[in-house]
Amino acid sequence: MPFTAKSGKFNASINTVEIGTGDKAIKIGGENVLPLYSFDAPIENAPKVGIEITDFGMENEPDCIKKYYEGCDTLADIAKKAASFEGVDFLCFRMEGGDPNGANKTVEELIGALKEIAAVVDLPLAVAGCKNAEKDAQLLSKAAEALDGKNAMFLSAKEENYKTVGAAAGLAYKQIVGAESSVDINLAKQLNVLMTQLGVNPKSVVMNVGTATAGYGFEYVVSTMDRIKAAALSQNDTNLQMPIVTPVASETWSVKESVSSEADVPEWGCQETRGIDMEVETAIADIASGSNAVILKHPTSIATISNLMKELV
Amino acid sequence: MALKGLDIFKLSPKKNCKECGCPTCMAFSMKVAQGSMDISACPHFAPEALAKLSAATEPPMKTIKVGAGDAEMTLGGETVLFRHEKTFVSKTRYASSLCNCMDDAAIEARLADIPKVDYERIGERMFVEMVYVNYTPEGNGDYVELVKKAAATGRVLILGCKDVEVAKAALEVCKDGKPVLNGADASNYEAMNAVATAAGVVLGVSGANLSEIHDTVEKLEGLGNKNLVIDVTGENVKDTFANAVQLRKAALKDGDRTCGYPSIVNTAKIARGDSHKQAALLSLFTMKYGSIVVAENITYAEALPLYGLRQNLFTDPQKPMKVEPGIYPLNGADENSICLTTVDFALTYFLVSGELERSGVPVNLIINDAGGLSVLTSWAAGKFSASTIAKFFEEHQIEEKVKSRKLIIPGKVAVLKGEIEAKLPNWEVIIAPNEAVQLVKFMKDFE
Amino acid sequence: MTLFDVVFSGNDAVYGLTEGAINDAIAKYGEDKAIAFPDTAYSLPCYYGVTGTKVATLGELKNALGVVKTLMTREKRLNDAFMSGIATALCAEFIEVLKYMDGAVPYEAPCYGHLGDAVIRELGVPLVTGDIPGVAVILGSAPTAQEGVDLVKSYQAQGILVTLVGGIIDQCEELGYKTGANVRVIPLGKDVTSVIHVVSVAVRAALIFGNIKPGDAAGLMKYTMERVPAFVNAFAPLNDVIVACGAGAIALGFPVITNEETFRVPKSLIVQKDVSKFNATSLEARDIKIKITHIDIPVAFASAFEGEIIRRGDMQVEFDGSRVDCCELVHAKDASEIEDHKIELIGPDVDEMPVGSKQSIAYVVEVAGKNMQADFEPVFERKFHSYLNCIEGIMHTGQRDMIRIRISKDAYAAGFRAKHIGEVLYAKVKSEFAAVVDKCQVKIYTDPAECTRIRHEVAMPMFDKRDERLMTLTDEGVDVYYSCIMCQAFSPSHVCVVTPERLGLCGAVSWLDAKATHQLDPEGPCQVITKEKVIDERIGEYEDVNDAVRKFSQGALEDVSLYSIIEKPMTSCGCFECICGIEPLSNGVCIANREYAGMTPIGMTFPELASMTGGGVQTPGFMGHGKHFIASKKFMKAEGGVARIVWMPKDLKEQVADRLNATAKELYGIDNFVDMIGDETIAEDPETLLAFLEEKGHPALTMEPMM
Repeated sequence: MPFTAKSGKFNASINTVEIGTGDKAIKIGGENVLPLYSFDAPIENAPKVGIEITDFGMENEPDCIKKYYEGCDTLADIAKKAASFEGVDFLCFRMEGGDPNGANKTVEELIGALKEIAAVVDLPLAVAGCKNAEKDAQLLSKAAEALDGKNAMFLSAKEENYKTVGAAAGLAYKQIVGAESSVDINLAKQLNVLMTQLGVNPKSVVMNVGTATAGYGFEYVVSTMDRIKAAALSQNDTNLQMPIVTPVASETWSVKESVSSEADVPEWGCQETRGIDMEVETAIADIASGSNAVILKHPTSIATISNLMKELV
Repeated sequence: MALKGLDIFKLSPKKNCKECGCPTCMAFSMKVAQGSMDISACPHFAPEALAKLSAATEPPMKTIKVGAGDAEMTLGGETVLFRHEKTFVSKTRYASSLCNCMDDAAIEARLADIPKVDYERIGERMFVEMVYVNYTPEGNGDYVELVKKAAATGRVLILGCKDVEVAKAALEVCKDGKPVLNGADASNYEAMNAVATAAGVVLGVSGANLSEIHDTVEKLEGLGNKNLVIDVTGENVKDTFANAVQLRKAALKDGDRTCGYPSIVNTAKIARGDSHKQAALLSLFTMKYGSIVVAENITYAEALPLYGLRQNLFTDPQKPMKVEPGIYPLNGADENSICLTTVDFALTYFLVSGELERSGVPVNLIINDAGGLSVLTSWAAGKFSASTIAKFFEEHQIEEKVKSRKLIIPGKVAVLKGEIEAKLPNWEVIIAPNEAVQLVKFMKDFE
Repeated sequence: MTLFDVVFSGNDAVYGLTEGAINDAIAKYGEDKAIAFPDTAYSLPCYYGVTGTKVATLGELKNALGVVKTLMTREKRLNDAFMSGIATALCAEFIEVLKYMDGAVPYEAPCYGHLGDAVIRELGVPLVTGDIPGVAVILGSAPTAQEGVDLVKSYQAQGILVTLVGGIIDQCEELGYKTGANVRVIPLGKDVTSVIHVVSVAVRAALIFGNIKPGDAAGLMKYTMERVPAFVNAFAPLNDVIVACGAGAIALGFPVITNEETFRVPKSLIVQKDVSKFNATSLEARDIKIKITHIDIPVAFASAFEGEIIRRGDMQVEFDGSRVDCCELVHAKDASEIEDHKIELIGPDVDEMPVGSKQSIAYVVEVAGKNMQADFEPVFERKFHSYLNCIEGIMHTGQRDMIRIRISKDAYAAGFRAKHIGEVLYAKVKSEFAAVVDKCQVKIYTDPAECTRIRHEVAMPMFDKRDERLMTLTDEGVDVYYSCIMCQAFSPSHVCVVTPERLGLCGAVSWLDAKATHQLDPEGPCQVITKEKVIDERIGEYEDVNDAVRKFSQGALEDVSLYSIIEKPMTSCGCFECICGIEPLSNGVCIANREYAGMTPIGMTFPELASMTGGGVQTPGFMGHGKHFIASKKFMKAEGGVARIVWMPKDLKEQVADRLNATAKELYGIDNFVDMIGDETIAEDPETLLAFLEEKGHPALTMEPMM
């Protein structure tokens, strides 16, 4: 007896969100099947891969990243270079230095840096904050103004600052707003509802439902995304149909498996290979759980995931 | 639809004879429903009741055992597609590859690599549990010799061999280790079945597509062999992923028992020569339904994320992972370094120890026995309180082991400060921030 | 003269002026002459917002005036007055745009006149987020310059954006008061028509932030009404034109507060003779709540101090409810009875108390709010323990009239006094319960006689009333239940249905708690579940409850009953205080609580039972529940109620004995029912238990078979 597969196509679908403008604009979401299940129905928009750079430029990067940016003197150079790697769909600028408990760079300085980058890159842009909710409110609302008309993505509005970030990015400048919650389907949903009540168009919202490195509580990420996609598709829960964007590099490149040098742990072998595999394995696991876009750092990781997406979808 | 405990109980003998090992028939019935005991453990079930139940309690996916002795492991037996629904029961197993097409130097190098990855992570031994030994007629090497060498690693073998005679010869030298013979397809299944059953090993079935595989499995079942695994590796990544998912879905969701066997995914075939792509596929098929996933060579780079991911995925969603309670000196801490205490929930431990390491400040991290719950949950459940901390300090003789009398406690349980100071009068209790990410600054400022 | 006459006459006057001005301009420049406000993409924002038509030339402006004329109907109905108000505002906009002809700069410092789009985006974000809690439009001259400046200052201190029109601008200048967009005090202009520039801000906010389509006048007015928290303070004397403009403001939802004795329209045109009360009256009228970000006390306030213990030797003074009369109380009152942020001390302060002495204290937090309900009083009250403990140097234990508070010597030395308790309670209640509390004042009694009076005559009767309400609160007596999904983080498909007689299985969420949680956080874990469509009264199954459970479990659960353990029992998350399960031999149920470590006659321990029952899966024959539920009349009602309980750990039995005995007496007329229930000292296996039950004549033995 031959095998007959029952279709897993749903009547509901994930929202399609376009990021950027012009030829290089990308679309994420739109599928009416579980992540990567293109055998159930065609998936129009394969998951996308972004590259992350920060306001520190190459200052804090490991050598295995730095070597790809040799000869880049300014942030603009770095951004141009980053955008040129194979498989990069969008560029994410993380304003890490804004953290009041860290370098505490001023809003003006960081927005200045952002403008420099925006001037030389024609890929769709994402802007990430410094993880301090209060500072991010200022940073992201100024960034929304600075990128007026670019249809950029802002990562992210959290429960503590969604009003400011949502109003500035989503309402005043009609950009794409990321809604960030911490690995809990109900928190994710609640934030989307609040964002909608604020007046932000749900079709301009993407979610970051929490992120982790493989091995570091990743089961919560998996179950949260599994449940969100199930609710969005099988229950047609419109408050959870936003595509998911997951920053990966900022998580994976801080664990000891990625950052310990070969001298410190000789049996683990080459640091670069470890860093790439940690990034790649985490990214694909995110995508398999439901991320519609991932943000990575190492050019090889990006090429690997990007090519794999072309093969899979 | 799984049977409820109460339904089983209604058919039970209700004698509370305890012969099954449970104190009552109710307890037994609940355990059968939960899947933790087999109905055959009860000698008194009426035959008609048994007949009625065994069909209903037969799992949708078979549990297959491979390997012998200490190396024995269980594949399959899954009941759900998503881990939040229940628990995944049999973790994915990984194999590095050998082939009779490799030259001797490559073979020796690979054999040397295989045992390298071997470490412990939260109480679990992490190593490459299996070796895939591939046979190709074009290969120059002696397959049986290769199998011998592979068997000497002590890992469970998978013989990737479609030649009946070669397989037979290879099994002669390794069958006691209960390997998998991954060799049956539509063309040779009868002969392969005979070889596998004669050797008493699990037979792997492959085919051009799922229909062909389905057909072959049915025929093998017809021959009385249900000791199978299915090699879902297709022409490319896309087909392989579709096969792996559709097979599992058909078994668990649509009740197609012919699909209810563990799977093998061979990434060495579909991503040959690209180690990062294989790393990605190892991860992808751990997420989606590979029971055994094969790569060319699993080194620490692939393994560190992979085994962590597997450990995360195969935990019981209701039972969080625990780390061993005790003192963990960080950043070269000694007996004079300050102490910081928190719970034994693995996620808490990783977050806290990670941030403490980043701070560079020497500190003795004291992990309490808090039932593997997070700080607030264990506090609410009374498992992380002044008295449990004091008791733990006493039992583990912390005061003898550490000279420092400064104890940092999580900000979320600041409420415990007074009580801890009352119970541990020699200690000065200091309140840490609420979130682990704030620890780096806190520790630096503190220093 | 009626109010209508005044509005119409004011409107006519402005219309006449506008018509004249446009005609003059056309005569001078011709119809094709371009007109525009600078730095805006919204043409004449008010006219564009209301009509959807852009105006670019003098000729078009004249046509627009024709459209405005159609609004000026003269029936004496409310709508006509509103529309005439709008017409007046639009005329003002026309007059103002003429000032900008040929790139003229009609306004000079300190006045701003028209505000560009960039300013709107800048101000719009904090307006939407509530960081700017309101917009004050102050018009005319205050009785004295000082009063005017004081009013401006009071709004500024609250973060409210202040716009100034007319004489008040001069008054600020006169006293050297700093104005400007950077300090959020914006002088618009000295003509009354310049008020349109703030209306223009409101209209553009609606277009930009509210996604209102130009021309959707109804949507526009709804948005300004609901989302733009503006109000007008118009100083006497008022003329017809100002009143007509005021009608326009009211049409947009902005109340007008004036000190002139004039017509009164409830909630819209309010007379407040005392200018110093303009602020409070305005905030109340526009329903503006000021966020509290700072607690005014001389010591620190943080959760880090929650666990601080103050020993006898370190304490300055102690209030001890076990020795003298003390109590703490939340009391919901009418808004008119409360002056916000009033902290009153009745009796001696800490200074006058001997060091180390025991004293009386009673503090009553009086609150008012449109959404406040007496049911929330105990919910707030239970938080006092945590609030007061967060104060550095203060220790609080107990609740109701059994409280004890210690103030440390250090806190006293730092200046901590009795009123600071009030400051903390005020700030926390106002900020954490902002959804329901509009106004709050605190009375602190330290006079022993007053404390005795408050405790016995005020507090105790209220506590009794609340207890009685809890006792009489039945599932049948309420219209809705609540869901609780706080546990879904680890038990994904579990949904608690919380009813008055069946609290959440964790024991921590009663129906009143769930209700309050819902009010305070409408999108949060507790949602309303109606119970209108009964499917089966006996087991407590409702169509609407099933719908809710299906929705909140993301489809994992199809149907639940509220009162049965066998048929569609409610699921359990994992945090249950107790589990009860069927013990077939005795035809009843055994209950084990979390603290009980031993074996139960079911043959399973609590952890074993928990692993079978938890995880949000329906397990007929077993369910998790709170301790309190054991004595409920709804406990296993479908199977015969509490008479089915055959075994409980001794500790648990003691905890619930009184209430359970009372329930059994009421339901079955059985005295001392608890004595018939076995425990671990009697039996840990079913056979011994059965013998005991037979000896006692336990009612379960003669009840219908459970299965």
